[in-house]
Amino acid sequence: MNQIAMMKWANRPAKSMAGRYGLAIGSVAAALCISLALINFHVPQTFGAFALSAIAITFWYAGTAPGVLAAVLSSLVRDYLFEPNTSIESRLLFDLVFLIFALLMTRVAQVRNQLELRVAERTVELTRSNESLKREIVERSHAEYLTGQVFESSPDAVLIIGTDYRYKRVNPVHARNWGRPAESMVGMHMAELVGQEFFEQRLRPFLDRCFAGENVKFDDWFDNARGHRFIAATYSPLRSDSQQVVAALVIARDLTDHARASEALRLAQADLAHASRMTTMGELTASLAHEVNQPITAAVNGASTCVRWLTRDDPDVGEAREAALGVIRNAKRAADIINHIRSISKKGESKRQLADINELIREIVALLRNEAQRYSIVVRTDLDTNLPKIMADSVQVQQVMMNLIMNSIDAMKDVDPARELSIRSRCAEDGKLVVSVSDNGVGLPQHQVDQIFDAFFTTKPHGIGMGLRISRSIVESHGGRLWATNNSPRGASFYFTLPIPAETRE
Amino acid sequence: MSCHKETILVAIVDDDDSVRGTLQELLRSAGFPSRAFESAEAFLGSGHQQETACLITDIRMPGMSGLELQARLNAERCKIPTIFITAHGDEEMRFQALRAGAVEFLPKPFDDEVLIESVRAALGR
Repeated sequence: MNQIAMMKWANRPAKSMAGRYGLAIGSVAAALCISLALINFHVPQTFGAFALSAIAITFWYAGTAPGVLAAVLSSLVRDYLFEPNTSIESRLLFDLVFLIFALLMTRVAQVRNQLELRVAERTVELTRSNESLKREIVERSHAEYLTGQVFESSPDAVLIIGTDYRYKRVNPVHARNWGRPAESMVGMHMAELVGQEFFEQRLRPFLDRCFAGENVKFDDWFDNARGHRFIAATYSPLRSDSQQVVAALVIARDLTDHARASEALRLAQADLAHASRMTTMGELTASLAHEVNQPITAAVNGASTCVRWLTRDDPDVGEAREAALGVIRNAKRAADIINHIRSISKKGESKRQLADINELIREIVALLRNEAQRYSIVVRTDLDTNLPKIMADSVQVQQVMMNLIMNSIDAMKDVDPARELSIRSRCAEDGKLVVSVSDNGVGLPQHQVDQIFDAFFTTKPHGIGMGLRISRSIVESHGGRLWATNNSPRGASFYFTLPIPAETRE
Repeated sequence: MSCHKETILVAIVDDDDSVRGTLQELLRSAGFPSRAFESAEAFLGSGHQQETACLITDIRMPGMSGLELQARLNAERCKIPTIFITAHGDEEMRFQALRAGAVEFLPKPFDDEVLIESVRAALGR
């Protein structure tokens, strides 16, 4: 603003009227005084020259009108004080000189004013653009500050890794994760920090994909200075102006607490499923005992027979051998049944393997055959022998089967004889297979066909209402669906689907 | 209908293949010819009840139970000395069977000597 004020002062140097005209009178008076003084020192008459200076100064600083006044005063002073005796022509000539000089100065002053005006305008423009530039710098540095804050105060580990696998920049979270100052990591090769083998096997493949231009996401358990941690990481390519990937932006979020919580939930669900299996097995104790007792009885019979053939008066070794082979066969059968009961009762990690659904159905039907017999229920199986194998946890799928069959048996306990349970396996359309368990029991409660799958829904006096809930979670965790319908004229059917893995599809 | 025992045939009724088969072998080693049936209905339908001198039957089977078979034979005035073998017999069931004229009530697995003695007793030897 000071510059502009000065410009204005240069245009109109004297602010007041008195000042401006005072400058005209004063400057002519000064020229007169200097000339008179010089005459005393015998210098020839010099007023004309000083008068021109006075006129020029007045024009320059006080403007046109005071300049003209200075010119007129100079003419009068010269005519009447210095050259009173000269001819009218000579006076007019000098007056003409002053007049031309005044006009010239008027023009000079005008040009000067225009010039100064332009300079002032340009200065204003420059000042403005300078200010907006300053503002932009402030804004940019603010934005940079915020970006820096994002980097520095992010709750996630944020780092930039060059294509040479060296750290370009790391934030405090990453520094804390590795227990060393951030500055000490810059320039360091990743392998130095995480170990050569870990780097080559677990990080480099992802980084190389990122450097090839791909956004990479992955999560896994890692060991760092804070212990065994579950980290979800994203690798994003950072590109130069020429679109070449020059670095990777890595954002790593520590999800250990979430991973532990979901692990705990998974374990709780497995515990619940196990508890439910044990409850069912408890209900089956009598039938299972009978199922094991049959081959044991047969083995004891065989052993007795064997002894009898050997202790006769004329021992028959051939017959004894046959009987002994029967003992082995039946003892093995008893062991198989016990092993199967144990595998269902076992509490273990969920294991998915290729499994033959028909084999799983046959095993569970064999285990429950006696239970069905107890209530005079005829069990029919209608299995499609051309079914591809599925990827499943056999124990869990058999738990679903066991729940459905036990429910059917319960539903038929109080109906008229001709109780029939039928189990079918078929190939469904959408790359899945479907298993159905149908009975002609009491059927599902009206208007509650879907509620039966809710937790704690039960129609049994001693049921806890978890069986179908757990069955549905098991089927859904395998990528299938479990549903129920009522049969006509009576009974209910339960269906569940299981996906057929692409590799076993024909 | 009544039945007249003409032979000394032992009949076995049990739904479990292996129990049925090994029991038949056991009796053969002891010198008793036998016939085996997988259900009470099969036995009743076979027409062999007349020549059966001793019946060994399981109690719990699909369809007709061993006790029902005994009642049926009693009703038909065809009293065959019967030995019950069962994996889960309780006292009540045992009492019911013996009251209906059972020779013996044996829990599975059973001692061969006891069974053979019971068969001998049933056959009156």
